[in-house]
Amino acid sequence: MLSHKALGLSTALRQAAFAPRTLRNNALLRNTIARRSVQTKTIPAGPAADAILNQQRIKRPSSPHFTIYQPQLTWIGSIANRVTGVGLSVLLYGFSIAYLVAPGTFDSTHVIEVVRDLPEAVKYAGKFILAAPFSFHAINGLRHLAWDTGHFLTVKGAYVTGYLVLGATAVSSVALTLIK
Amino acid sequence: MSTSLLVRSSLPRALAHRAALRSVAVQARANSTVPEHKYVAGGPIPKGGPNDAVTFPPPSPTHGSYHWVFERTLAAALVPLTAAAFVTSGTNYPILDGVLGLSLIAHSHIGFDQCIVDYLHPRKFPVLGPATTWALRGATLAATVGIFQFNTNDIGLTELIAKVWTA
Repeated sequence: MLSHKALGLSTALRQAAFAPRTLRNNALLRNTIARRSVQTKTIPAGPAADAILNQQRIKRPSSPHFTIYQPQLTWIGSIANRVTGVGLSVLLYGFSIAYLVAPGTFDSTHVIEVVRDLPEAVKYAGKFILAAPFSFHAINGLRHLAWDTGHFLTVKGAYVTGYLVLGATAVSSVALTLIK
Repeated sequence: MSTSLLVRSSLPRALAHRAALRSVAVQARANSTVPEHKYVAGGPIPKGGPNDAVTFPPPSPTHGSYHWVFERTLAAALVPLTAAAFVTSGTNYPILDGVLGLSLIAHSHIGFDQCIVDYLHPRKFPVLGPATTWALRGATLAATVGIFQFNTNDIGLTELIAKVWTA
């Protein structure tokens, strides 16, 4: 049994819907239906309207794009190249600026002392954490330079070189970590 | 059940009636004295606001092809430099050490700049974009001076990495 609330029609409209045809052209009925329950206001186009539009645009959701894109060797490798590069550069800049600001604390003797006194496991872990991004960035950089000279610029080429880079990175990271 | 069927059959008629009445209301509002941007075929397009077309920077080879060539040359040069630094020591070849340090910082600067252009473009971030660009330039300058000081007054970058790695 449907009620008028479930239908979403106002009482007046429901009565008008069920009224006989002669009654539907009644002016009184027309005014009842045409009256709105919300007052609207017109704002001329300009900065005031744009401000409201921009507020609405900020609140609008956007469809998922980055969160639903299937992980692929192409773009995962690309962002990994950027992340490793930025990470290594932050380390380089950080150390250089730290030495500039406080050469007494960050000079080589202190740094080597601190590292020497760490436990062996931490030293190996630290070396791997530095060697892996460096290896990946360097070897993937070679892949980029190959692309820049026009080689391997196909889907198959990108995937073959991508897997080669991953294999070489693994070998290189382990080799670098084990250097005594 | 029969009452619902009755309602469903008269629903389209009721909605059509409501739509016809609404068009009367719209006409009444359009005749009011509100200034609008009327569409004029081939006429002026009102400018200003977020619907304008994107502006592009003027084409210049310094920021275009020369920048690209310099970036790739530097990256290619880093390969033999790093290989050489691996097999020698910074104490014996301080010039190599200095060149490697400078090249690494220049390579990092270009990389950071690309990140700013990608994620904090001045077109979308009119204050934060240029501010980050200038902060990066300051940081690069400080890092260059720091590396120079380290290579001059201390053992140098390659020697430090070698000693820390085998510490």
